[in-house]
Amino acid sequence: MLKKTAVLLSSLLISSSLSAHTLWLVPSHYVLSKPDSWISVDASAANMTFVPDKGIALKSLTLYLPDGSAKPVTELYQGKRKSMADVQLAGDGTYRLELANPVRFFTSYEIDGERKRLLANKQARTAQLPTGATKVETVQMRSRNFAYITVNGPTDTVLKLQGQGLELSSNTHPADVVAQEALQFVFSLNGKPQAGVKGVLSFAGELYRNDAGRVEFETGADGVVSFTPAQAGRYLIEASYSAATASDLADKLRESLTYSFEVALP
Amino acid sequence: MKLAVTALLACFTAAALCSTRVSATASEISLQLPVIETSQYHRPYVAVWVEDAQQQPVKLIALWVEKPDWLKDLRRFWRKIGRSDTALVDAVSGATQKPGTYKLYWDGKDNQAQPLAAGQYTLLVEAAREQGGRSLVKQAFTLPAQGAVIDIAAQGELGHISAQIR
Repeated sequence: MLKKTAVLLSSLLISSSLSAHTLWLVPSHYVLSKPDSWISVDASAANMTFVPDKGIALKSLTLYLPDGSAKPVTELYQGKRKSMADVQLAGDGTYRLELANPVRFFTSYEIDGERKRLLANKQARTAQLPTGATKVETVQMRSRNFAYITVNGPTDTVLKLQGQGLELSSNTHPADVVAQEALQFVFSLNGKPQAGVKGVLSFAGELYRNDAGRVEFETGADGVVSFTPAQAGRYLIEASYSAATASDLADKLRESLTYSFEVALP
Repeated sequence: MKLAVTALLACFTAAALCSTRVSATASEISLQLPVIETSQYHRPYVAVWVEDAQQQPVKLIALWVEKPDWLKDLRRFWRKIGRSDTALVDAVSGATQKPGTYKLYWDGKDNQAQPLAAGQYTLLVEAAREQGGRSLVKQAFTLPAQGAVIDIAAQGELGHISAQIR
């Protein structure tokens, strides 16, 4: 039991040290004109957009088919700087590729002047906290990293909001995003537009530009972020929402997502 | 008279080709594919189509392609027509062409063989070459056109394009 806790805590430490990096999924193709095509997917936790720094475990990488059903991705390789998956897309339509961390609870506290963490929610923490623990706080966390790939005609099933946690939607289908055309995203929390979602928009090629060209944003009451991509290429949105919560299980909520997408030539 | 009969017979055997050629009011589009000196030359994929004022495709005039894998590289054609109208793509597509000057004919009707309403339209030509570049050119015109002239200078993968819209 002790050993298990140690393992859990060390994985926790790794994920917290990685949190300074941004985790992304980048498919080799966002648009395909032939069914049964293979794509390769790069995944990394990195500082620069699409310049890989650390390979990550892809065991939970899931492909959502155009009909909405989920299929695990099994052809995986974890490298030092990036991980890779091979994915075959059988039929027409829009697919969602997602690497998600379901809801987890972290309790942090201070004892003898040291900050420590537990994998426990507000109810479970009582039994686990050492006596004398102070500054106790439980955070509910969830993250999603995803991208859409479309084979032939686009479909909408995998774009629909699930109504749980932080999600992103748009009035433009991912396969229709074009440079120099206005683009709008709506961030929702539990299915409703959410104010106070903070994020950064970036695009590939930062290594070769003096000005990275990153745009920071925060949503208003309508949850909307609008921009017009100047040039075609691969873009990344990373966004998160933190707030105090009155739940029985946590004191604080932190939801985050990253979304990579393609801006096509006009 | 004999000629006319031959033309009529030809129409029955190659209706799609002929219906445009026989019509005296067909628009003629001249399209050049330039000679491109390169170590790895592949014939370009080419699409020629018409969009209405809302940028919706109304007529696919020509499509020169080979394998489905690369259809997506005609980016705008793919978004506007290719990805969702397989039947139309199958009906119109023909083999890729070598550099030269080609004549295309358009009877002024839409994909459903209905005459187009008066209004503004755009002729679009897109070309993409494997291991080469991609070019998209367009010019607006109004219908009824009464002989409006389209003239697009050579650019990248496309040579000079001219048309008289009738």
